[in-house]
Amino acid sequence: MEIKPILSALSRNKTGALLIALQIALTMTIIVNSVFMIQHRQGQMDRESGINEADTFILSYMGFAEDYNEKTQLIEDLNFIRELPGVVDAVQTNSAPLTGGGWSMSLATETGPDADDVGTAIYFVDDHGVNAFGVNLIAGRNFTADEIIWRERTSTKWPGQGVITKALAADLFEDDWQSALGKTVYISETQPINIVGIIDKMQAPWNGWSGVERTLLVPSYTEFGGARIFIRTEPGERDRLMTEIEEQLVANYKGRLIRRVRSMEEVRTDSYRSHNGMNTILKTLIICLTVVTALGIVGLASFSVNRRKKQIGTRRALGARKLDILRYFMVENFLITTFGVVLGAVMTIGLNMVLVDMLDLPKIDWYYIPAGMAVLWFIGLMAVFGPAKKACQISPALATRSV
Amino acid sequence: MLKMNNIKKVFRTEVVETHALRDFSLNVDEGEFVAVTGPSGSGKTTFLNIAGLLETFTGGEYFLDGVDVKGLNDNQRSKLRNEKIGFIFQSFNLIPDLNLFDNVDVPLRYRAMNAKERKERIENALETVGLANRMKHIPSQLSGGQQQRVAIARALAGSPRFLLADEPTGNLDSEMAESVMSLLEDINQKGTTIIMVTHDPKLALRTPRSIAVKDGLVSEVVRKEAVSEANENVAAFA
Ligand SMILES: Nc1ncnc2c1ncn2[C@@H]1O[C@H](COP(=O)(O)OP(=O)(O)OP(=O)(O)O)[C@@H](O)[C@H]1O
Ligand SMILES: [Mg+2]
Repeated sequence: MEIKPILSALSRNKTGALLIALQIALTMTIIVNSVFMIQHRQGQMDRESGINEADTFILSYMGFAEDYNEKTQLIEDLNFIRELPGVVDAVQTNSAPLTGGGWSMSLATETGPDADDVGTAIYFVDDHGVNAFGVNLIAGRNFTADEIIWRERTSTKWPGQGVITKALAADLFEDDWQSALGKTVYISETQPINIVGIIDKMQAPWNGWSGVERTLLVPSYTEFGGARIFIRTEPGERDRLMTEIEEQLVANYKGRLIRRVRSMEEVRTDSYRSHNGMNTILKTLIICLTVVTALGIVGLASFSVNRRKKQIGTRRALGARKLDILRYFMVENFLITTFGVVLGAVMTIGLNMVLVDMLDLPKIDWYYIPAGMAVLWFIGLMAVFGPAKKACQISPALATRSV
Repeated sequence: MLKMNNIKKVFRTEVVETHALRDFSLNVDEGEFVAVTGPSGSGKTTFLNIAGLLETFTGGEYFLDGVDVKGLNDNQRSKLRNEKIGFIFQSFNLIPDLNLFDNVDVPLRYRAMNAKERKERIENALETVGLANRMKHIPSQLSGGQQQRVAIARALAGSPRFLLADEPTGNLDSEMAESVMSLLEDINQKGTTIIMVTHDPKLALRTPRSIAVKDGLVSEVVRKEAVSEANENVAAFA
């Protein structure tokens, strides 16, 4: 092949080629890292929360009237809601997956301050929790009504039973989640919790947390000055019941303020709003960069074809076929692009290392690099094809005509 | 070897039609050295371009080595140019980014020829023009006369049957022109057919035959009796 003379010709006209190679390298770096970030975010968004999201909503209120009796009001509300036609179940809870706010504690398999502990999200529920959230109990049992305690805001007392997720069980008991059932773990260093049940999956409220799959349910009502009630309906009944229940609760007792009624679908959308926004920005950036780089290649190739018209005519006069001219420019561009993508590969890994540090992003998977190289090679060849095609059309007679 | 009958060439632009060649007829035999003269715009370059298959023609017939050129497609014409014809241009047309070796290599690369043979041919050709010791230089490091000698080496490397030169000395001073001319004469002596367009009457006198082109026609053919006599004439001029 004619690589050697093309290289030596290139080496005498470095600037343009180097600038384009650098642009290709930068484009590859940004595109590949962006695609990786998009995929990573998409992967997070695709995770299931483990609960029923389609037919559920959360309602929260605060009591303000003098006669507001937190305990009786809560029980009355729960009984009322659970009786409504179309309602599958309801539970008081402090939080829910995807909401972004909640309670977390550390659990250890031994007592004492030096024990290895594992952080977990905590949901306070009663015996309706499993059914209302629609989570899957895969071992052990649910709470019984007599296990449920009342917890005041200042209390540090924990109930003696817990239901945990499979992921938390695996983290606590060296990957053997099944062995967790019936074991005792310690919260607040010394208070024992007996693991009575294990559920398949239920995310913590914080979607960006690395321990998002670690969750503990404890049998407890909370007296925090109001209530947050998680309600599950029959399919298709949610929207109707969201308005109905809000109105009914207000009608039943006026000494409280209904603060928020949100479907879990809304909660999910809000939870990943910034993910979605960032992905849109990155996608736009990718498209813009690709277009700009492709145009840059077209520009450089057109310029170099125009600058070398006489040379092309001469080559044709000396026996080059149209195909030889086309090949010359394709190969030349391929060499520039290759330099660019090799540099790009190094820079891509470099940027990823920075992002791993700064944004807590995982390391990029190796196959993103060759894929990115292939894409930019392809873009390069597509972009140069037009100018190269034009170069083919230059007449050999140009060799004798002064330009 | 070269046989043109009533070749017509019309250049059409949106505003004008130029009849660059009108019934141009010429026979050139194997081994001849023909000079072509004529006023500017008379059609010399057009003739040479058609003879060298750089351009197509509008009418008439042209046989190159017995091959009817009219029926050839672009690739076949490229191949013929590459194998049978060597070109020498007024402005040398060397590729500025390539060294002399790579410049001479250009036509050879368009032929299926192995690297060893190419290298041999390039070195021989540069030897012939006396520039073998400058192979790694780039054209801008040479004088005009040297550049034209490289161009001749490039034309020779593929051992063409035919050399076509369009004012090869047009950009050179008389001393350099002389060295180029005697080089061409040597090449012709070894059997290569040469057609050379020139504005220089002294050079035209040195070739065994010269033709004058006017208004797209061959207006005059001067056939000198013998080469030696012509050389004497030149001596008399000088
Ligand atoms: N590509 C073209 N398009 C239009 N007209 C052309 C073209 N090439 C040549 N001509 C015209 O054809 C005529 C012959 O041109 P040609 O170049 O053959 O002349 P020439 O004898 O080589 O002149 P000179 O001695 O100045 O080189 C001129 O009138 C020229 O303007
Ligand atoms: Mg001319």
